[in-house]
Amino acid sequence: MSPPSAASSLASAEAPPPFLIDVGRLGRRLAPLAVGIAICIAGVALSGFHKGFPAKWVLGGGVPNWFDRADSWVQTNQSSNFFLHHIIGGLGSFLNSATNDLVSALHWLTWVGVLILAVLVAWLVGRWKTAIFAALMVSSFGILQIPNGGPNGISDMWQPAMTTLSLMAVAIVISTIIGIPLGVASAVWTPVSKTLRPILDVAQILPAFAYLVPIVVLFSIGNPAGIVATVIYAVPPLVRFTEVGIRTVRRDVIEAGEAFGATRRQILRDIQLPLAAQAIMLGLNQVIMMALSIVVIASLVGAGGLGDPVLQALQTQDLGMGAVAGLLIVFMAMWLDRTSAALGKHATRRVGVGKRLTRPQLAILWGGLLVVVLVAQYGLNLGDWPSGWGFSIVDHVTNGMNWVTNQLTHVSESLSSFLTLHVLNPLQAFLNDFPWWLMAALVGAAAWARGGPRRAILLVGCVALMGLMQAPVGYTFQGVTSYDFSAWGDAMQTLSLVIVALVLDLAVGIPLGIAAYRWRAADAVLRPILDFLQTLPAFVYLIPVVALFGVGNLAGVTASFVYALPAAVRATTLGLRAVQREVIEAGQSFGSTRWQLLLKIELPIARPYITLAVNQTILLVMAEVVVAGLVGAGGLGLDVVTGFSRSEVGLGAAAGLTMVLMGIVLDRLSQTRQTQGGQG
Amino acid sequence: MTAPTPTVGSEQVDTSDAPVIEARDVWKIFGPHPERLLGSDDLDLPRAELHAKTGNTIASRDVSFDVARGEVFVIMGLSGSGKSTLVRCITRLVEPTSGTISMCGQDVLRADARSLRQLRRTKVAMVFQHFGLFPHRTVIDNAAYGLEVQRVPKQTRHERAREILGIVGLAGVESSYPDQLSGGMQQRVGLARALAVDPEVLIFDEAFSALDPLIRREMQDEVARLQARLHKTVVFVTHDLDEALKIGDRIAIMKDGRFVQVGTPAEIVGAPADDYVAEFVRDVPRGKVLTAAFALQPHAGETPESVVNQDARLGELLPVIFGVQGPIGVVGSDDQLVGILDRRMVVHILAGREQHNVPEEPTLEPSTPAAS
Repeated sequence: MSPPSAASSLASAEAPPPFLIDVGRLGRRLAPLAVGIAICIAGVALSGFHKGFPAKWVLGGGVPNWFDRADSWVQTNQSSNFFLHHIIGGLGSFLNSATNDLVSALHWLTWVGVLILAVLVAWLVGRWKTAIFAALMVSSFGILQIPNGGPNGISDMWQPAMTTLSLMAVAIVISTIIGIPLGVASAVWTPVSKTLRPILDVAQILPAFAYLVPIVVLFSIGNPAGIVATVIYAVPPLVRFTEVGIRTVRRDVIEAGEAFGATRRQILRDIQLPLAAQAIMLGLNQVIMMALSIVVIASLVGAGGLGDPVLQALQTQDLGMGAVAGLLIVFMAMWLDRTSAALGKHATRRVGVGKRLTRPQLAILWGGLLVVVLVAQYGLNLGDWPSGWGFSIVDHVTNGMNWVTNQLTHVSESLSSFLTLHVLNPLQAFLNDFPWWLMAALVGAAAWARGGPRRAILLVGCVALMGLMQAPVGYTFQGVTSYDFSAWGDAMQTLSLVIVALVLDLAVGIPLGIAAYRWRAADAVLRPILDFLQTLPAFVYLIPVVALFGVGNLAGVTASFVYALPAAVRATTLGLRAVQREVIEAGQSFGSTRWQLLLKIELPIARPYITLAVNQTILLVMAEVVVAGLVGAGGLGLDVVTGFSRSEVGLGAAAGLTMVLMGIVLDRLSQTRQTQGGQG
Repeated sequence: MTAPTPTVGSEQVDTSDAPVIEARDVWKIFGPHPERLLGSDDLDLPRAELHAKTGNTIASRDVSFDVARGEVFVIMGLSGSGKSTLVRCITRLVEPTSGTISMCGQDVLRADARSLRQLRRTKVAMVFQHFGLFPHRTVIDNAAYGLEVQRVPKQTRHERAREILGIVGLAGVESSYPDQLSGGMQQRVGLARALAVDPEVLIFDEAFSALDPLIRREMQDEVARLQARLHKTVVFVTHDLDEALKIGDRIAIMKDGRFVQVGTPAEIVGAPADDYVAEFVRDVPRGKVLTAAFALQPHAGETPESVVNQDARLGELLPVIFGVQGPIGVVGSDDQLVGILDRRMVVHILAGREQHNVPEEPTLEPSTPAAS
């Protein structure tokens, strides 16, 4: 009989002699170790048994010097250089005038018009609840006021809110114009996707702080810089969502189109794009939230709006004002999130909006709005929200926060001193004294074990470059600026904050994730809290944290911990939920206890998700740790903030670059071999 | 609403005898540099060894077949045998590595993108295993899709789609979305979508495999009913032997990319070409498939008391066998006596014992177009 013999020869062909396997596996185990040792030897040979990174190793005249020179070149050539004057300058003035036009358009609409418009849009895409929610949130911009403490002496926040809205709108429109076509292109042409992928990868792990300074060099302080920063931040996820949305359209559906003789364009337009609409809308929702979070950060580079009072509050420690302004940002976030999420829900099937209104009905709606606006503008002479219609809660908030802080003083102080004295400081000292070559060796070995030789080379290179970003000792530029920038030491300080926040996040987040998976009640309690936390811009976390712990490292750690916690919890729960029912039942049928099920079946199967959770948490923690430079958390974030406030561009830009390198290292170290973006 | 006698497809009755689909020496090799593999000795390596050595997988090995006009040609095989790939080669949804395929007299493999699209739009339509419905379109827009890509005006294509939906029993759900329908109804939409373009060739790729057994049988009956009325040329891919036997005029049994046997259901069951096929058909109730031709004894001059056709199924002959005492004659298609029915053998066959004649000239050789 031929089939059985074929099968047996096949089986023997598949099993090579056993010793081969062992050697291969041993080699794979030992290779990382060997690589680590090799790097150690090379490092010691090059730099000796130094602590940290040798100070004499400086690239060129020092990386910060490059940026200082670039900055001064830009300053002198601003009006004579074609590129700077026409392209950059033109773009800048376009962005500026677009924003200003929008602000005046919103002013022309009057507060009544803005309110009705918000309600109308929310009602069209969603339900009545969405509309009422929008009305409440929008009126809060007028109602919650800050007496004579506000910027420019304005007491109600209506105008700053409209400015933020306009900045966001411009940034979102530009992001959409860039992001969606790029996403479509990379879904359709694989070369585009391959070219874009590494760029998007890096862009997504960048903390926004990293590129603020170079943008300011080009665009100088103001709204355009804020918008550009927002666009850079928001485009990558939109490209990703669009590409993935199109690529994950089921193969057989596309094949059906092909089988009926549809052209490529017809397939894209009639099948792929409509089916990807939901993913694209989800991406747009993300873009809106990201835009809001960075528009606030953009206040640092001179963009106006709601970020200003928060920034002022953080700088002057006027936490009541900061809390109210922060609250308004949160309200804006919740309003925009609800409305844009409602848009996404209906996107695929009933193209466009949730309600199906006939043309005349729509005409009546928009016409009615126009009439109301005209009456309000020219008949009633309304403008921005009347300042009499509102009240200040700043004092109450300040009192409340003081009360809470006082109640918690005992706890927060002992916690603070414990964490600072026994965790943060020793870790910082340890990392500071840690020789760079040993760090490189550890990173190289770990990278080799997780991702093979190419990743090891990349990461060791990044580690070395991080140290090389420093300024020479006693650095001065044109006799005016002088500062110290020890990139390695600052990076290690940032790293120590990241490690502490990460450990806390995993220690709290994973158990919470398991709890949300196991107990319905825990899920019910956690879900709204996590939802709420996830809509908050990074900035806002700093306010309550500063109230409790004052400025400094601990505030940074705590803010980062809270900021990244939802991701850790969510990914764990998601991973556990993805375990197939049948597999769990199989476990139960063998008489496993709950604990055995969890430890032997559910958690191991959910491991890829938990790895993902760790990766996400690391990136989020890092992003927030650097933002916390604003409240005095040390390290690279503080360098960027100092770089702004004393316009020491080189320091801020070099610190930003160091952040980029560190982000790449942390991201790649926490990713397994699995390629990202692979679909099942 | 629906016209009592819709005119689907029957208007252009082409009487030429040329096969609608002719496939010759079709190879499909997946993996790197498939052309290098052709003609090399590696072709004969077992699947796993080949993959380990060159990274290639052979989905289709030198397959040739014809499908006659109005015929239902079933390609049957287990999963991984290459049947779905082969059927995709016919319309180049999968590009064959070598060979020739012609459909309706047109060389498919030489066709440029434009004429290939034209072919897909007008000559052939496909029904998919997981339905391949467009979830964002209503039932009627799904059914009208083939016409839409041909740029047929909306009103015309909706009329046509509505008519076909009526025929396949979906009147009234035109404005639903696919996910609001049951699996069986979804596949009816898939069927309607294929029929709406009035193709000459219908390809069913495991079309009913994802359905419950009862629904599956219902759909098989539906196809039989439609086929009796529309006389399409059908290529039907399945892994279900019962389905193959029920629907097929001829069946090709596929294994490891090869056709092991091509023949009528009776030939496959009554005269399996090798152990593989024999194992396959072992449990098939023979009385339902084998014909009188399989239980013949030579005519020795006796006068038959009654006659039966040689294509009559044995199971259906029981009333005659028990109702008639004398010899039963078996006649061919030209009403000539070809032999006498062997009663003992009928009982053996029906009892499932392996003991029967094989009619002369069974079509054992692959790629012989049988005039069924």
